[in-house]
Amino acid sequence: MSFLDEKSATFQLLGLTFDWSIVISTVIAALIVFLLVFVLSRNLTMKPGKKQNVLEAIVDFTDGIVDSSLPSSIGNELKLTAFTLFLFIFVSNEMGLAVQVAFGDVTYVKSPTTNPIVTMGLALLVVGLANFVGVSKLGFKGYFKTTFMSPMAFLLPINIFEQFTNYLTLALRLYGNIMAGEMLLTLITNWGNPSHLGLTIVPAFFLSMLWQAFSLFIGAIQAFIFVTLMSIYTSEHAVAE
Amino acid sequence: MLNGILLVNAGEQLALGNMLFVLLTFVVLLFFIGKFAWKPITKMMQDRADKIANDLDSAESNKNEAAELVSKRNAELQATQAEATTIINNAKDTASKRSDDIIAQARDNASSMKVKANAEIAQERSEAMADVKNEVADLSVSIAQKIIQKELKLDDQKALIDAYIGELEAK
Repeated sequence: MSFLDEKSATFQLLGLTFDWSIVISTVIAALIVFLLVFVLSRNLTMKPGKKQNVLEAIVDFTDGIVDSSLPSSIGNELKLTAFTLFLFIFVSNEMGLAVQVAFGDVTYVKSPTTNPIVTMGLALLVVGLANFVGVSKLGFKGYFKTTFMSPMAFLLPINIFEQFTNYLTLALRLYGNIMAGEMLLTLITNWGNPSHLGLTIVPAFFLSMLWQAFSLFIGAIQAFIFVTLMSIYTSEHAVAE
Repeated sequence: MLNGILLVNAGEQLALGNMLFVLLTFVVLLFFIGKFAWKPITKMMQDRADKIANDLDSAESNKNEAAELVSKRNAELQATQAEATTIINNAKDTASKRSDDIIAQARDNASSMKVKANAEIAQERSEAMADVKNEVADLSVSIAQKIIQKELKLDDQKALIDAYIGELEAK
C-alpha cells in the first residue's frame, strides 16, 4: 500500500537510485501483459477461436480509441503503443487488488500505478510521444504553430503552461485514483481486523468486496482515459487546424 | 514526494532512476508485444478484411453470372418450345395429307375394281346370251328334224311338243 510516508528499499546503479518495489512491480506487470498477449496470440487463424477473439476484441477496442481522435495516417503508427499502454496500465491498476507482497515495512509487490513516479514516467512517455509525433508530421515550424500559437498567437504563454498541466494532470489523475482506491481498501481491511474492534469483520468483508469491485472498474476506466488522452494530445500536436 | 513531482532534487535522483526504469520496461514490453503478437494479429485481421472484401466481390460476379445463365436458359427454353410446336404442326400436316392420299387411292382402287367387275359381268352375260342363242338354235333344228322325221298326228305332235318342252325344262 502506497502511503505518502511509506518506507522504501532502494539500490544504486550507474549513479541512479532505484526503488525495489517499483522495479519488481513494474517488471511483474510487464511480464503479465506479455504472457497474456503471447498466450492469446498463439495459433492465429483466419476463422478466430476463443483466445483470438479476446485478443482481437482488445485490439479493436484500442484501435477504436485511436481512430476516434486521429486520422489513420497518424493513428496507425500509434495503435501498437495504445494497445500496449492500455494493457500495461490496466494490469498495473488491478495487480495490487489481487496480490501485495510485503517484507517488514516495505511492500515489494503492489500496483505500480500507486506510485506517482511510475505514473509520471508513463505521462512523460505519452506527452513526449505526442510532441514527437507532432514535430515529425508537421515539421518543427508547423508543430510550434499548431501547439503553441493556436487558436491565436497571444495565447503562447497559456499554451506553454498547458503542456505542463497536461503532463501533471495525466500523471496525477491515474496515481490519485489508484492510490486512493487501494488506500481505502487497506483502511477497510484494518477496520475489519477483529483484534481492533470486535465484530466489524462482517460488514468489512462485504464493504471490501464492494470496494474491490469498484476499484476494478476504476482501474479499467483509468486505463481507457489514459489511452484516450494519449490520442487526443497527439491530435492536438500533430493535426494542423 | 514533492521532489518526485517537480523533478528538482537531483541529489537524491530517486525519481529519475525509477522513471527511466519504467520507461525502459515499457519500451521493452512494446518491442516484444510488437514482435510476437501485434504483427501477426494485425496481419491476420487485415488478411481477413481483404478476404471478406474479395469474397463479396466474387459473390457479386457469381450472382451476375447466374442471372445471365438463367436468362439464357429461358431464351433457349422458349426457342425449344417454338421448335417443338413447328415439328408437331408439320407432323400433323404430313399425316393429314397422307391420310387424304390413302383415302383417294382407296377410292380409285374401289372405282377401278367396280368398273372391272361391271365389264366382267357384262361379258359373262353376253357369253351366256350367246350360249342360250346356240341352244335355242340347236333345239329348233332338232325339233325341225323330229317333225320332219315323223309324220305326226295332231295328238302325236302335241305329245311331241310337250315332250320337248319337258326336255327343255329338264335341261
